[in-house]
Amino acid sequence: MSDSGSNTVLLRTENLCKVYPDGAVNALVEVSLTIHQGEYVAIMGPSGSGKSTLLNLLGALDAPTSGEVYFLGEPLSAVCSLDRLRSQKVGFVFQSFYLLPVLTAAENVQVPMFETSLSASARVKKAIELLGIVGLQHRARHLPGQLSVGERQRAAVARALANDPILLLADEPTGNLDSLSAEGIFDLFAKLHRERGMTIVLVTHDPEFGHRAKRLVQMRDGHVISDGVLPPH
Amino acid sequence: MRFYTFVLKNLIRRRVRTALTMLGIAVAVGAVVALVGVSSGFERSFLELYEKRQVDIIVSRKGLMDRLTSGLDENFGKKIAGLPGVKAVATGLLDFVSLEKLGIFGVMVQGWPDDCFMFDELGIVDGRRLRKGDDRGILLGKVLATNLNKKPGDKLVLFDEEFTVVGVYQTFNVYENGSMITLLAPLQKLMGREKQITGCTVVLEQHDRPTIDQMCLKIDALDPAGKTKAMPYEEYVRSTSQIKAAQAMAWMTSVLALIIGTVGMLNTMVMSVFERTREIGILRAIGWRRSRVVRMILLEAILLSMTGGLVGTLAAIGLTRFLSSRPSVAGMIGGQIDPRVILQGFGIALLVGLIGAAYPAYRAARLMPTEAIRHE
Repeated sequence: MSDSGSNTVLLRTENLCKVYPDGAVNALVEVSLTIHQGEYVAIMGPSGSGKSTLLNLLGALDAPTSGEVYFLGEPLSAVCSLDRLRSQKVGFVFQSFYLLPVLTAAENVQVPMFETSLSASARVKKAIELLGIVGLQHRARHLPGQLSVGERQRAAVARALANDPILLLADEPTGNLDSLSAEGIFDLFAKLHRERGMTIVLVTHDPEFGHRAKRLVQMRDGHVISDGVLPPH
Repeated sequence: MRFYTFVLKNLIRRRVRTALTMLGIAVAVGAVVALVGVSSGFERSFLELYEKRQVDIIVSRKGLMDRLTSGLDENFGKKIAGLPGVKAVATGLLDFVSLEKLGIFGVMVQGWPDDCFMFDELGIVDGRRLRKGDDRGILLGKVLATNLNKKPGDKLVLFDEEFTVVGVYQTFNVYENGSMITLLAPLQKLMGREKQITGCTVVLEQHDRPTIDQMCLKIDALDPAGKTKAMPYEEYVRSTSQIKAAQAMAWMTSVLALIIGTVGMLNTMVMSVFERTREIGILRAIGWRRSRVVRMILLEAILLSMTGGLVGTLAAIGLTRFLSSRPSVAGMIGGQIDPRVILQGFGIALLVGLIGAAYPAYRAARLMPTEAIRHE
């Protein structure tokens, strides 16, 4: 059992390897990792260490060259609809936010909800609620271009929460933010972890933010070089 | 937000491209609706000429591609009239003339005997009908009279001979309203086809198909030389070379327009998918199924093509109405387009949209989220 999570194993990787099609780079080498439900894990490492590749494999965005990822005990290679799994169980936050420029913040939050049975009015209501959670309710009708970068990332976090995922994956979520905005995002992640018991796995370059997680996985050249529980921040 | 709102916003964000693609579809669909509409209107009006007068059979010279050159003995009509079951027979000589000095082309001129029952069907709106002895008299259809600015008593030169307008008629048919009628004998003389007629229209006492088919055989048998062909009026109209040529040209032009429209749509949707590769990757990453991505692309294309179809159809209707009011073509083009042709236009627009979007949608659906997100 993890110190910060529950007994339930949410993610388990077994000898995970990833070689990109050109064959020149072993992005991941024999990575075995277990993440329990409710854990807050930071993955750190220099550029090219394989942390984003690992995150993509954990989130079923990509397939490993060999090895297996188990999600709640089920091997992802046996899951018939990875789309559905991503839609229902995983929320993604990207470094560059990737909000759709012609949609308002509230509309962007609703985009993943098209894959649910929610009615149009229920989608709007939920989007406003989620924007409230990330402190952006007052900006619901603003286009991404009218929001600050910090606000854009908050909107992206709200979008990631749209379908009530049990896992939040964030790839360099503060990479494009000023320190104040980055601080706000990490506070938000801490709040989601604390109040919702959400499992969070994030990739970051920033040691300060990395150490705010409850567990730190360090990578280099596709290998996990350390994995340990962090003292309370 | 509804899914179609999302799709609509995708289109609106690239206004110029959306407008240009829509215009391309509009031109393609407009061409189809206008050309096919005019050619099918052409056929419909010809059918109407016979249908509304309850004509059952048309008799003309066998084996001719151009029915205008058909030549039968003018007494052949009397032989047909003698057959039991024949109610009435009208003989006539038909040709097309152009009044080039007046800028009016392809005017139908018919020569009828003075006792032809068809005269009774003409609604004389000014002047009087043709009578025996009116060798230099002519009747003008209302549209033609308006375009020529002629009224009873005015003179009109035809085949270098001066005719006097004795009356103006109006019928239910656009071609007849744009045509003119003389007595048979003077027209035969002017055209150098003395004692000849182009054909006969036959009205039977019973109008069922077996009776019509039997009567056709009997009429054919009246000519021992076997140079006469009697056929039901629908068959006659549909096998008329002018109608066939008009339809072939309409469809050929339409097919070209459609190919251009489809390629335009394909180009737009391919570009749109290519430009949005990363965006599609994001949508897939946040859980969109491949089928939803496909639906998004197809719906965008359908919205584009149906809007283009609507614009094109409205433009075609407007253009046809405008053309039908021009003196040079009035009497050749009816202002109405058959609703079936309009439906056909929308069907084609839908097809163009779906064909043009099929490959881009397939390509978008095949994108791996991680590859798409990495796309620059």
